[in-house]
Amino acid sequence: MKTLRRPDATALARHAGWPLLLLAALAAGQVLDDYAVTVAGTILIYAILGLGINIVVGYAGLLDLGFAAFFAIGAYTSGLLMLKLHWGFWATLPVAVLAAAASGVVIGYPTLRLRSDYLAIVTLGFGEIIRITVVNLDVTGGPNGLTGIPPVTVGGREIVTPPDFFYLALAFFAAVLVLTGLLARTRLAYAWRAVRADDRAAEAVGVPTRRVKLLAYVLGAAVGSVAGPLNAAQLGTVDPSSFTFLTSLMILLVVIIGGMGSRPGVVVGAVVVVALPEALRTVQEYRGLFFALLLVLIVLVRPQGVWPARPRRFARPAAAGPEPAPPAAGGGVLEVEGLTRRFGGVTAVEDLSLRAGAGEVVSVIGPNGAGKTTAFNCVTGMIAPDAGTVRVAGRRVHGLAPHRVAAAGLARTFQNIRLFEELTVAENVLVGRFARDRSLLRPPSRADAAAVRRCLEFTGLAEAADRPAGGLPYGDRRRLEIARALAAEPRALLLDEPAAGANPTEKRALMDLIGRVRARGVAVVLIEHDVALVMSVSTRVVVLDRGRAIAAGPPAEIRADDRVIAAYIGVPDDPDAGLQAEVLR
Amino acid sequence: MTPGTPRDRRRAPRAAAAAGAGLLLVPLAGCGSGGGSGGGGDIRIGVPAPLSGDSASAGQDILAAAKVAADEVNKAGGVRGRSIRIVQADDACSAQQGAQAAQKLLNSKVVAVAGGYCSGAAVPAIPIYGRRDVPFVLDASTNPSLTETGKGKVFRTCGRDDNQGALAAKFMTGQLGARRVAVLHDNTTYAKGLADAAAGSAKGLGAQVVYEDALQPGQSDYSPVLTKIASTKPDVVYFTGYFAEAGLLLRQRKQLGLKFTLMGGDATTDSTVLKTAGAAADGYIATTAPLAKDLPAAASFVAAYKARNGADPGPFSVYEYDAVKLLAKVMGDTGSTKGPDITKALHGVKDYPGITGPITFDQKGDRTDPLYITVRVQKGAFTAYKKLDKTGAAWVDARTGS
Amino acid sequence: MSDFVQYLVNGLTIGAFLALIALGYSMIYGVVRLINFAHGDVFMIGAFAGFGVLTTLGATGGMALPAVLAAVAAGALATGVLGAGVARAAYLPLLASPRLAMLIAAIGVSLALEEGVKVLTHARFKSYPNALDGGQVMSGAVRVTYGQLALVLLAVALMAGLWLFVTRTVTGTAMRALAMDRDAARLQGIDVERLVLATFFAGSLLAGAAGVMYGLYYTQISFGMGFLIGLRAFTAAVLGGIGNLPGTMAAGVCIGLVQSFSAGYVSSRWTDVIIFGLLIAVLALRPTGLFGERVVERA
Repeated sequence: MKTLRRPDATALARHAGWPLLLLAALAAGQVLDDYAVTVAGTILIYAILGLGINIVVGYAGLLDLGFAAFFAIGAYTSGLLMLKLHWGFWATLPVAVLAAAASGVVIGYPTLRLRSDYLAIVTLGFGEIIRITVVNLDVTGGPNGLTGIPPVTVGGREIVTPPDFFYLALAFFAAVLVLTGLLARTRLAYAWRAVRADDRAAEAVGVPTRRVKLLAYVLGAAVGSVAGPLNAAQLGTVDPSSFTFLTSLMILLVVIIGGMGSRPGVVVGAVVVVALPEALRTVQEYRGLFFALLLVLIVLVRPQGVWPARPRRFARPAAAGPEPAPPAAGGGVLEVEGLTRRFGGVTAVEDLSLRAGAGEVVSVIGPNGAGKTTAFNCVTGMIAPDAGTVRVAGRRVHGLAPHRVAAAGLARTFQNIRLFEELTVAENVLVGRFARDRSLLRPPSRADAAAVRRCLEFTGLAEAADRPAGGLPYGDRRRLEIARALAAEPRALLLDEPAAGANPTEKRALMDLIGRVRARGVAVVLIEHDVALVMSVSTRVVVLDRGRAIAAGPPAEIRADDRVIAAYIGVPDDPDAGLQAEVLR
Repeated sequence: MTPGTPRDRRRAPRAAAAAGAGLLLVPLAGCGSGGGSGGGGDIRIGVPAPLSGDSASAGQDILAAAKVAADEVNKAGGVRGRSIRIVQADDACSAQQGAQAAQKLLNSKVVAVAGGYCSGAAVPAIPIYGRRDVPFVLDASTNPSLTETGKGKVFRTCGRDDNQGALAAKFMTGQLGARRVAVLHDNTTYAKGLADAAAGSAKGLGAQVVYEDALQPGQSDYSPVLTKIASTKPDVVYFTGYFAEAGLLLRQRKQLGLKFTLMGGDATTDSTVLKTAGAAADGYIATTAPLAKDLPAAASFVAAYKARNGADPGPFSVYEYDAVKLLAKVMGDTGSTKGPDITKALHGVKDYPGITGPITFDQKGDRTDPLYITVRVQKGAFTAYKKLDKTGAAWVDARTGS
Repeated sequence: MSDFVQYLVNGLTIGAFLALIALGYSMIYGVVRLINFAHGDVFMIGAFAGFGVLTTLGATGGMALPAVLAAVAAGALATGVLGAGVARAAYLPLLASPRLAMLIAAIGVSLALEEGVKVLTHARFKSYPNALDGGQVMSGAVRVTYGQLALVLLAVALMAGLWLFVTRTVTGTAMRALAMDRDAARLQGIDVERLVLATFFAGSLLAGAAGVMYGLYYTQISFGMGFLIGLRAFTAAVLGGIGNLPGTMAAGVCIGLVQSFSAGYVSSRWTDVIIFGLLIAVLALRPTGLFGERVVERA
């Protein structure tokens, strides 16, 4: 346990790093000459843009190749308000940020359904649309852009000299740094990282992924857009050729070179992107070539970025605190009626009905391809059923988005385990809390922390809490998925082949775990191939074959049912069939 | 395995990364050192130009011409015994880099600046030089607004877009007798400025502007644009963009069998047009300032430039040469390298015999003499064609003046 | 009406190039899930390779046709090797890294190729010899040149060749398998790395051939010529449903037509706004492109 604690020196670096950097920057403004200070000011502008795109690309994992659009929207909004309406710089700032945030919705909305790679071209296209539009319109000055933008005044003093501007930019940077620092501690940041790791799994465990993605665009745009007015004030002009695809690339490079999701990395990236070409001025026409080759080299040597994000230990209370009261058990917790789903001509699930009461374990068995997982996906909203109803504690949930189904009290695990690999074990469990509490813009609550601790202890994972989920052994991964599902304090828990690949010891532990879960009044629905396990834990068993329930009843009844035996033997292609038939007897 | 080990391993490259990033700043900070040129030593003249990016070749031509001029001055004994040194700075044709280049030049203690190519890079640089009273002589940025907002500290040896546009309109309506004029640009600052000026003047001269729009540079196939223009039935099309598109337009106009006259602005008088368009370039007319080879006074410069760089000078090389030589002359005359003195002296220049013609500046810093003429492609080369006579009423042969 | 037909002819010509280049984006994305940003620059390198061959051989008089064919072949081969070499050096080492790392490597390669050629050519344009300056197939109100016709035919032949390769050969089938599921393909004994290189070779080959044809047709080439056309070809690949080769070809022609008709009936300066607006609208309605993608999202 001792080795888990960070050495004091590192803790110091984490907490003292930023103030030291800002102090160094304050001193640098005094020492450096005008040229170096101008370059440093540009570095700060790129660092602000980098902190903005870091939200979109670094946290939420949404590739953005058109981020210069938000830079442009910020610059043009501010510049136009100053020139046409004679507003002061400070008055234009909130409007510029709002305009960029609104455009974040415009770009974010159509991309929500797209596979992540397509974001590249859509965001690139958006960036080009904005740039071409400002060049084509007269009100934005066409290709000339805006000129004659007055300098910023702070307390009656005009900011014109390079050191003055540097300090102004530094103040902006510090403000943005604090803001993004606060953002990085919110539940939203955990939701972003979960979405980045696996957005379908995040949705299934209760994260409202669409809202979370949209917020990434909106907040990223808002943060990055601050650089626009600043840049306009620095140059006194807004030049549309500053917002080309190349600019977007440079902004993206800031976060890629530095390390995605890493704020110190953004600063390193901004220095590299701005200062490296300046340092390469001496090589003249080879400047671009050198920069390009260095870029390839950096990526090959450090694909994770120069300063990758460091996992932050998620703080948990020393004691788990009292158990929450179990949900009032009444009648059927999960009621599925007449569920049907067709794929083309194939009926995967036909007229399936299923009831699981509080504290019951209902198992669904059947040969491979019988439609078990499809049925799960229909129940949890990941696939829309063609017909049928699904109720949780009497509430209709069919037709709802998966995260709403999860919020209604239906948690699940996946056949092929879907953890958030880059998050720690504790963070994985924390994300499971979204089904219980969807609030985003505040840090994880004490209830969250207590639940995480409780679930980790319940599943025996407390020791591994701060390890990345990707590094866990197989058995622990299964248990972590269950812990994540339990964090939602669900009414019903759907387990999809939890014993697959487990050894006898692990299977016994799993049976024990299922027993303890049902003891807490949770309805458990189990898909499983291990018939022996099924027969020993289940209250009732439903047998599926080619999408239809061919038998349902207590284990003893099922064991004796001829149709069940026939169904298993009747699938000669399935190598497990003979074996399972034996087990059934 | 303890979790401490991988973390330690990660820390080393992190420290290296931080150090590396810090080191990047060192050469920047070092630029300011080195002797100033205010007192003794050589006199530094700054040359901002696009040395990287898409306009890099134009920037190299400008820089090379500045060096030829400096060499000449230095061989002839320099400025009152002090030699001239050219300090270059890449503005990459962008506003941000333009501002940084300006700071870098000021850091290097330049006493005056001669250069520039893209207006976009010059706009933010002008106030930076202005605050330090360093005069800026533009050699290629023809946008009217630059001298208008330069507070008298900005000069140019090149012409202005509005002058060229007016001349083009006169030529189209007068010499070519066009009633229906189409104007095509490429949505860059320069091309749009020239297009607006030409269209405005043409309307003032009673012609009908049947088309004014932009093509998108870089896409190589302009057949649809040409087809569209042809449908408006113009007598003349004036293209104000760059040479790369001009050659393609000429070639594709021939392929499409279109009959209207295609005329271009001064960014189209590059030999690339002739190579790309081949026979389709025959008879092509462009408005431009006189080309180096048509300037009798520039012959020795062209020879020196070729000897030094192994290639012909670019279209703006002569203006850069004049700018540097002129700065050297006024510094020699006044004996001062202080910005306000140089600025004052530049305003006092009267008919300085530049290789681009006599130079006199008006109050804004623009040349008082009309610069532009027309050239025509004949036998695979641009040759001087017509110019306006002194009265501005009649077109005369540009070489003979008759 | 004749204007309409002329826009159609020009749009098809442009579309032929776009389709050839878009195929490379689509194939490469299929096997490595990489948006190969350097692909447009590979096209540019092809144009310069062909230029080198043509100016060395001389392309006038009786030598014209053999020289042209040699140039196309040499340009295609050179870029094929280049594409595979770049993939070996810069992309394969990153197969297991985060996906964005490879994308950034591709961006770096793109900049490096562009800057490299810029340094070598002193940022100047080069003009191809006028090897294709033939007569007109149609010379009335609507003009079609023999050059246009030859070009479109050659593009169709190349695309047909690719189609046969992908559907009829063992390597092509393996490529399609790889696009479906890399792990399953590896389990079937497919040498993934070799196949990735083969895909890069084939995709780059088409782009290189397109580059030489482009040089022959438009005559003017430069270091920056790959950017805009690459962007539009990439758009076409996504619009057609990435990994779906017939869809990609069709979308390439579509984008060519949009480019031509938008210049004719709206304005050339709004072309990219229209193309990207169309792309966003299509993807918002059909997230897998017009004709549906043929790659499987790994669970």
